[in-house]
Amino acid sequence: MTILDARGISKRYGGLLALADVDLSVAESEFVALIGPNGAGKSTLLNVLTGLTPPTSGTITLNARNVTRSATHSRIRAGLGRTFQHGRLFERLSVLENVMVGAANRPGRSDTALRKAALDTLGLMGLERFAHQPISALTYGNRRMVELTRALAGQPRILLLDEPGAGLNSGEVEDLMTRLRAIRAEHRLAIVLIEHNMGMVMRLAERIVVLNFGSKIAEGTPTAIQADPAVLDAYLGAGSSYAGV
Amino acid sequence: MADLIQLLTNGLALGSIYALTAIGFVIVYSATGVVNFAAGQFVMVGTFAGVATLVNAGWPMPVGYIGALVVMALFGALFYLIVYLPLRASPIVTVIIGTVAIGITIQNMALLTFGSWPFPVPSPFDGMMIDLGGTVISAHAIAVVIATGVLILLLWLLMHRTAIGIAMRAVAQDVKVARLMGLRVQWLLAFTWILAAVMAGIAGLMLGPMWFADVNMGDPIALKAFAATVIGGFGSLPGAIAGGFFVGLAEVLGASYVSSAYKDLIAFGVMILFLLFRPQGIFGEKIQDRG
Amino acid sequence: MALRLLGLVGLLVVGFALSLSVSEYALRLLNLAAIAGISVIGLNFAFGYVGLISLGHAAFMGLGAYILAILTTQAGWSPWLASVPAILGTGLCAAAIGFPLLRLKGHYLALATLGLNVSFVIVAANWIELTGGTNGIAKIPGLSIAGYALSGEQPFLWFALVILACLGFVASLIQSSRHGRAMMAVRDDETAAAMTGINVTAIKVAAFALSALYAAVAGCLFATHVNFVSPDDFGFAQSITFLSMLIVGGEGTIVGAILGATLLTFLPEWLRVLGDSYLAFFGLMMLGILIFLPTGIIGLFDRWRRRAPAPETAAAEVAQP
Repeated sequence: MTILDARGISKRYGGLLALADVDLSVAESEFVALIGPNGAGKSTLLNVLTGLTPPTSGTITLNARNVTRSATHSRIRAGLGRTFQHGRLFERLSVLENVMVGAANRPGRSDTALRKAALDTLGLMGLERFAHQPISALTYGNRRMVELTRALAGQPRILLLDEPGAGLNSGEVEDLMTRLRAIRAEHRLAIVLIEHNMGMVMRLAERIVVLNFGSKIAEGTPTAIQADPAVLDAYLGAGSSYAGV
Repeated sequence: MADLIQLLTNGLALGSIYALTAIGFVIVYSATGVVNFAAGQFVMVGTFAGVATLVNAGWPMPVGYIGALVVMALFGALFYLIVYLPLRASPIVTVIIGTVAIGITIQNMALLTFGSWPFPVPSPFDGMMIDLGGTVISAHAIAVVIATGVLILLLWLLMHRTAIGIAMRAVAQDVKVARLMGLRVQWLLAFTWILAAVMAGIAGLMLGPMWFADVNMGDPIALKAFAATVIGGFGSLPGAIAGGFFVGLAEVLGASYVSSAYKDLIAFGVMILFLLFRPQGIFGEKIQDRG
Repeated sequence: MALRLLGLVGLLVVGFALSLSVSEYALRLLNLAAIAGISVIGLNFAFGYVGLISLGHAAFMGLGAYILAILTTQAGWSPWLASVPAILGTGLCAAAIGFPLLRLKGHYLALATLGLNVSFVIVAANWIELTGGTNGIAKIPGLSIAGYALSGEQPFLWFALVILACLGFVASLIQSSRHGRAMMAVRDDETAAAMTGINVTAIKVAAFALSALYAAVAGCLFATHVNFVSPDDFGFAQSITFLSMLIVGGEGTIVGAILGATLLTFLPEWLRVLGDSYLAFFGLMMLGILIFLPTGIIGLFDRWRRRAPAPETAAAEVAQP
């Protein structure tokens, strides 16, 4: 069953075409990675999917509902979750309260229920010992994990992760991968991952979508993508242009 | 028709005062990000500096004016040291309240020094009227408009043709880059405050003969200058000028053709409409939440 | 919860003790402080939690006061009855204004609310048939409970303290509810807040309307206590005073709102010993407080508490369920 279906998404900024007719479809409990050189349009696509940026054209269907014109918060309530590239937490709230905010996206849960749900989710991520700490006391890696926990507490059907591994050490990346796999298996959660760490992408993703200059240039299994000449060209091309600078 | 010419002249003269106040407000805002709620008190201090030199000390006109502007330059430097430097890293609300607080102090010090009785302030054109085929208009009002035009031209030359003006614009664009370029940012910021104070001082000296010198004149002027700034476009000098003239004309024409009681509602109503539908104003910067 | 009830009882006890021991003049100031406290607790929703810089808070207090004054003096309503439309009408008005206005941020919102406050005063000063113009509205009837008139300073203070304590209690319940957390989340990061399913516009409008409701309660108390309202009472300077109270006390806290309101009500009076120059000193003192105590009195307490850290308490806090 398809959870998220984006069709013909284009985004134009003045003369710049940031996204050109991109399709992205994600099925229940599927793990999709979104890769591409810097500036390929990955974050723009995430912003369009979450409603932060209106697309110039295209439609977005979430859980069989057309959400193309919906506000961010109603997409979240319809089962979407997202983390940000550098981790954005509510600095004046404690860790537990941050996660409680995430858990409160559905109406009708009492404060006690919210607290329990938040503690459970923190436990799932191995973070319960930080529950009552202020955000300022967290390490960078733990901040990223708390942000992920906050998104999970909203019980999304599909989670969009913007470089969750950036800034984490290798042990933390391993831990993150283990937990993502477990959560996905347990909650039948679909995940779309933007990541530069190719080892992580190849080990986690079932399907990889490659963007370059705003267009989808390839899509397929990790093995197929690794062998795709267009992808190699995009990365090497970007690499050689860097070398030229 | 005769009435209209008179009204237009008065509106432009009053608009000149608002425009100069708004310019002082905007150059400080662009360079430092400070929303100076004491901007109206700067004008009031300018008027009373004129009272001190021209009336109390009895100096002759050109010397008195120069003396008053020197006082204003010192006042700007002092404000930079006592208010701006300690508050420069504070959140916007703290800066707003801080400048309001020091405005209360300035106003009450003026009250203690000069008393609450409004003073008449002399003008070089006292009693002079210009007869334009049946319409009599005050020479002072004409002089205010011309002087403002000259000042705006001088300010433009300063900002675009002198090293210090170009450096000031660089600081307004990006303090970090300006610092990397080796500009002495703190001196430039101090100069910005001094320039703003002198502009306000000139506005005060020109306003004195139109109204009376009154220690409570600061707040109404500041509010009109804010409206002018928003309407013209926050952070834009052409905007401050256009907004200032708009508010001055709206006040004078509104009082005469609409309602003298509700004349001020026009300026604030238009300001709120601009904020709602075109927050960048006529010429303004792209909206961003600048600290 | 226990702490909250303790605060409630503490406020009532301290207030009651003061009401029996101070001069009539101090009682009058305490009444004004309690009224300002209610208004500032309201402002704390908009500014302290959501970060909306409102320089028009006094206009909402004025709107509430004027609705009550007009309904009691011109339509003959009892002040109790008149306070209902006064409070609800003000809240609705704030919601209606807030909906388009709260898209603005920072100094844009500050200037827009300032413009609203100035416009309110112009209308109040010139719509003479309704508001009495600059002469204001006099002879507003006072409140009475079961035939007992709250006309003296002392009984009114008891009543105002009960209202202050109740509204402070309600505010603290909201603060620690999901809505309070949502408000603080919006202030910290609007985009991230939307990404947790918070309707940012709705939260902003709700906080703004809530702040206006509190201001209107304060306005009703003011009108029935002073029995007179005029445009001067609700100028933008008063709005700035409310913001100052919140910042001096400690933004984002209810105790700070009450402390700041009390301190800034009494401070000018204490400074009167300085004679004519007291307002000049007041301005300088405010500037000094902003520079040296940027987080207010509550921030000072926090710093002082942190300077003497007890490792046991820190550990106990972490272990708390």
